Amino acid sequence: MSSRAASRWTDGSMGKRVAKRYAAERRFRLFGLAAVGLSLAFLAFLLITMLMKGIGGLSLEFLSNSDATEAANAGVWGALKGSLLTILVTMAIAFPIGVLSALYLEEFAPRNRWTDLIEVSINNLAAVPSIIFGLLGLAVFLNFMHLPRSAPLVGGLTLALMTMPVIVIAGRNAIKSVPPSIRDAALGVGASKMQVVFHHVLPLALPGILTGTIIGMARALGETAPLLMIGMRAFIATPPRGITDPSSVLPVQIFLWSDEVDRAFVEKTSAAIIVLLIFMLLMNGLAIYLRNKFERRW
Amino acid sequence: MIDTLIPTPTDTAEPAVEERTPKMSARDVKVFYGAKEALKGVSIDIHDDRVTAFIGPSGCGKSTFLRCLNRMNDTIPSARVTGTIELDGEDINSAAMDVVQLRARVGMVFQKPNPFPKSIFENVAYGPRIHGLAENKSELEAIVEKSLKRAGLWDEVKDRLNESGTALSGGQQQRLCIARAIAVDPEVILMDEPCSALDPIATAKIEELIHELRGRYAIAIVTHNMQQAARVSQRTAFFHLGEMVEYGKTSDIFTNPREQRTQDYITGRYG
Ligand SMILES: Nc1ncnc2c1ncn2[C@@H]1O[C@H](COP(=O)(O)OP(=O)(O)OP(=O)(O)O)[C@@H](O)[C@H]1O
Ligand SMILES: [Mg+2]
Repeated sequence: MSSRAASRWTDGSMGKRVAKRYAAERRFRLFGLAAVGLSLAFLAFLLITMLMKGIGGLSLEFLSNSDATEAANAGVWGALKGSLLTILVTMAIAFPIGVLSALYLEEFAPRNRWTDLIEVSINNLAAVPSIIFGLLGLAVFLNFMHLPRSAPLVGGLTLALMTMPVIVIAGRNAIKSVPPSIRDAALGVGASKMQVVFHHVLPLALPGILTGTIIGMARALGETAPLLMIGMRAFIATPPRGITDPSSVLPVQIFLWSDEVDRAFVEKTSAAIIVLLIFMLLMNGLAIYLRNKFERRW
Repeated sequence: MIDTLIPTPTDTAEPAVEERTPKMSARDVKVFYGAKEALKGVSIDIHDDRVTAFIGPSGCGKSTFLRCLNRMNDTIPSARVTGTIELDGEDINSAAMDVVQLRARVGMVFQKPNPFPKSIFENVAYGPRIHGLAENKSELEAIVEKSLKRAGLWDEVKDRLNESGTALSGGQQQRLCIARAIAVDPEVILMDEPCSALDPIATAKIEELIHELRGRYAIAIVTHNMQQAARVSQRTAFFHLGEMVEYGKTSDIFTNPREQRTQDYITGRYG
């Protein structure tokens, strides 16, 4: 045993090893910083160019008008309202169904080949390209169920299909991370399965579920392709009054404006992007607020 | 009744309570985890007014047996229990037995303190609330106070009932869990190594508490600490490799065991 060699803490070779360790740490910090810097630089570039090009287009008029053929009159209100209604429909459908599915799969379903199959399918669904969901929405909601074309209802339903797997996966992970000892504790005083789930597991999993949900929602908010498939690309000059009125949504509006030949629409495009980014920022802020509010330690 | 008058737990001059019907009785209980037989036919009676200790080397099936008594093994998909276990002469595994009610009647304290991440008050009030044991808020408050007093925690927490139960020290958390268990007024209390995470002072408090609870509840306790078994229990069962090797008066087990394996274990020859 060379136990003597290892105990010489102060000689030169040990000093060299320590110096090497410090160098490695410095290198790692540098690379990490560079990686963060790179992504920040891209974000800053995007924000600055958008702000420079679009800030002039941001006005009360822009925010309260809807789309128009004349760039000067075109506004974002119709698309903003459409996005809001669409996301509300998505939320109202995807959240309860996603959370209930997650709860059922984690807490009640037996572990067998069927549930394994369901698990694999859900994971696959989360990875399916959004355009496929658009085709599905077109086939089911428009051609089969004859729901109104271009409406936030159909857009919301289509996005709900897309968001649900994300919520189920986030929900299951959040539920899994609730310590089993809490379940034992509740069962031990005679709580029923339902009481364990709704009094203890769900409240503790909620912050994780909410975070996952809002990330899914933010993704849905920015989706363009599936909404094009269900006809939300029409020129619509009046804001929707309800979820069955024809409507546009922000990302589609941006897409349409960016395609215009009229140079005046460049500013409109940038301004609409700013509105969309602020909308997303607000949603993410809400996610963080809710998470902190419900966060509990154990 | 006579039992409760006897102050020392290791008293050998016990009356013939054996003829009384036991609170719980297990007959030929076997537990399989998948194909593995973890418990190989255990028969034990647990009496009122008395503390029964389960000792034995790690992995011998003490927790497994304890968890049979309130059917906590139901929550493990691979576990299968055979044999009969009766509570007051009723088969706890029969269809007529409601498992939720069973767990209220047979309370459990776990090895690791596991308070709910809720307030101290809510931790204790939860059981009575879901079972509808209190008509109104003041009754509920009375139950919480009584339970915390019995668990010897009241003086330490009475000014901060709204603080989180998880913010207490380990020993306080464990007493909180005991308060939570007795708040639903169970008939039997199962304790699985309740002191294994605690320092000697907190351990002494819990042991004192067990003395006080004896007489009101039938208590079964798993412990690795031989002295603790000797101090708190009147009956001791020695488990080894899934078998119950010996069961008898605690004083007999510790001073005069019948089996060589028991002798070896309590003298520390293996463990
Ligand atoms: N959930 C489980 N699945 C499979 N096997 C298990 C499970 N729980 C326990 N076992 C096995 O059953 C046997 C008895 O375990 P048990 O937990 O009852 O031991 P114990 O006497 O309580 O030990 P300890 O003193 O270490 O707590 C062990 O061999 C263990 O590996
Ligand atoms: Mg154990």
